[in-house]
Amino acid sequence: MRLVLSFALAQLRVTLRERETLFWFVLFPVVLFVLLVAIFGSLGREGTIHFEVGFLNRDQAAGEAGLGRRIEAILEDLAQPGADGKEPLLSLHRPAGTGDLDAFQAREEQAVRYGTHALLVVVPEGFSARVRDALSSRSTTDAVRIQVFRRAGSASSGFALSILRQVIAGVDQGVLASGGRFRAEDAVVVDTVFLGSARGAEVRYVDFLLPGLVLMAFFTAGLFGVPGALLFAREQRILRRYWVTPFSVSHFLAGFSVTHAVVCALQFTLLIVVGRFALGAEVSFASPEAALFLVLSCATFLAFGFFVASLTKTGAAGMALANAINLPMTFLSGLYYQLGPLPGPLRILLSVNPLSYLADGLRRVIGLEGATSPLWLCVLVPILWMAFSLLVAGRRLSWDVGR
Amino acid sequence: MSALRGRAFLGLVRAEARAFWRDRVSLFFTIVLPFLFIVVFGLVMGGGEGAVAVGYAGGAVAEGATLERALRETEGIVPTPFGDAASLKRAVEGKRVGFGVLWEGDRLGLLYEASRFQENFAFQELARGIVARFDLARQGASPAVALDEIPLGNPAAARSFNEMVPGILAFSLLTAGLFAVSGHLTSMKARRTLDRLLTTPMSPLGLLLAVAVVRLAVALSASLVVLVLSQVLFRFEPTLDLAKFLALVLAATLGMMGLGTGIALLVRRPQSAANVANIVSILMMFLSGVTIPVELLPPFLRAISRGLPLTYLAQGMRHATGIEEMSAGRFWAIVLGSLLVGLVTFPLLARYVVRPERR
Repeated sequence: MRLVLSFALAQLRVTLRERETLFWFVLFPVVLFVLLVAIFGSLGREGTIHFEVGFLNRDQAAGEAGLGRRIEAILEDLAQPGADGKEPLLSLHRPAGTGDLDAFQAREEQAVRYGTHALLVVVPEGFSARVRDALSSRSTTDAVRIQVFRRAGSASSGFALSILRQVIAGVDQGVLASGGRFRAEDAVVVDTVFLGSARGAEVRYVDFLLPGLVLMAFFTAGLFGVPGALLFAREQRILRRYWVTPFSVSHFLAGFSVTHAVVCALQFTLLIVVGRFALGAEVSFASPEAALFLVLSCATFLAFGFFVASLTKTGAAGMALANAINLPMTFLSGLYYQLGPLPGPLRILLSVNPLSYLADGLRRVIGLEGATSPLWLCVLVPILWMAFSLLVAGRRLSWDVGR
Repeated sequence: MSALRGRAFLGLVRAEARAFWRDRVSLFFTIVLPFLFIVVFGLVMGGGEGAVAVGYAGGAVAEGATLERALRETEGIVPTPFGDAASLKRAVEGKRVGFGVLWEGDRLGLLYEASRFQENFAFQELARGIVARFDLARQGASPAVALDEIPLGNPAAARSFNEMVPGILAFSLLTAGLFAVSGHLTSMKARRTLDRLLTTPMSPLGLLLAVAVVRLAVALSASLVVLVLSQVLFRFEPTLDLAKFLALVLAATLGMMGLGTGIALLVRRPQSAANVANIVSILMMFLSGVTIPVELLPPFLRAISRGLPLTYLAQGMRHATGIEEMSAGRFWAIVLGSLLVGLVTFPLLARYVVRPERR
């Protein structure tokens, strides 16, 4: 036991002295955590998105201040910074004075085409009059149309357009109400329900991400840490030196596992501290089930690391293989975001990926809903992976150069 | 004499090519990583953006039929009926539909899955449109004012996979250039290969040119392979302007090699240099509009994005592959800017990076 512990301590010292290890296993998960929360934590929320919108009111130009002006006023409101100093939703670009409106429109269309502006809204000449005529004709007629130029495929055009649709829907209801065709007081009552949340509200991204990043950190520690330490030590004939001492392979494995567990504990603590105190995460891992899943994850990825190490002969090849495995496994596991419906080949990958089951299980036991697999499967699949990895590694892994 | 120099240079190029081919980590980041990105994103997004499936229930009663009509008239969705509220809720929770609309006789329930934070805001916008349409239909009214949407630019851009491929190409140019100097030259320094080479008549500039020639060839071939693969496997639809494409690949690789110079000047150990290059490239991938549109980032990240070279390289690549329109002036400014970075930093490289290690 003393042998194992002193080896584990020495191995831990080596690990923590290596800048690369510190960077990838400790710093990188934290950097990624902060970055992803900064990007996705407020995705699409007011105060975080901003669009450049051109507006041309030809209706007003024809001397008919009316509906076009009403729409413009609403857009002007949206272009005002929030009371808390937040960035306004829009910047509105309008023709200066009574300049050449056609030239303005051509310029703005080009700005939309080039992606510098999200939308161009053109209220046509005679717009108000045509709406009035349509309302007074008492018949259900085709709607009078406002032109909106958007850029094909542009996310900002798409978002700006959905905001404009709401503006127009509001104006439309106002117009219909003034013509006696719509009663705002009879508007339908809407209930918004978030399913799968104990709080009845949307799950906060930081809470969703924290367990995912803990697993990602454990995974990289196993995937890169084991082949990195083992294969390079074998190549540099460091392992060979151990075997001439009373230190056996089982001592090595036990000590190595202790080091791996300590690294995982360090990663976990750091992510929890950053998540709680810097990013406002509220999920709690303080339950026996959560602890069980964390231990299971740590053990599964340790075994998986030995499996990857057993597939290659050199350290460089081991690192290249680990890199190639890392991307598809982490992207296709729902660690960073919820996965939608996937096509056939990816569904197969997802269904055998231990990361997705561990993520599902861990999120479920810490009270985040949205899990898609039953709990027993979330435990069984990683255990099967662990057994398979150890079996393959046990048969293939060589503990010395040329043996 | 010049024939000898030419032969020596060719020898250097051959040696560099061999060294690159044997460096599995560089091979991975320059060739395999873009390929993996294309396969993963191609499988996820390659089928084209389908309309959002919107589940609904409560269609049996009279107003339910109005709801059904309102859903059918809404663009960009596929209305999917469910027999009762329970089955609709299960479908929303199981993510078989984007969101659900439930008519409960006197009120409308909008059901979202709580952890679909990357989509719920877009679903909520769609739902508002459905509610407005339903509201009017319930009172027997039809819209008096509507929008006439006119798309501008290349329709191919409407498919986000088409937007992403040029971004990944630009990213592969970034990594090819960045790792060339930061990884390869610092590794030569650490192994003392550089010290030995510098005792020969080889000039530092000659070595740099050999590295640049190999990386350019690799970047160009990797880009072409990714382009062909995306076309064959995932129906990527570029309208390639070959001259612009070649100019951008050349300038970007040289420019990014220049950026790698900065890293090589800051750190000495090859592993640390690779780490810094990795973190720089990952940060850029997230913040340069390659994976997430820049417009959707919060203001401070948008400001950072404006200062990142990959933002402009991705835009330039989208233009060179015909996916996005851009003014000729802006495109050539991107090319010249990248080239300038490369040309300015090459003498710096030769002076401060390609030199014997001090002991």
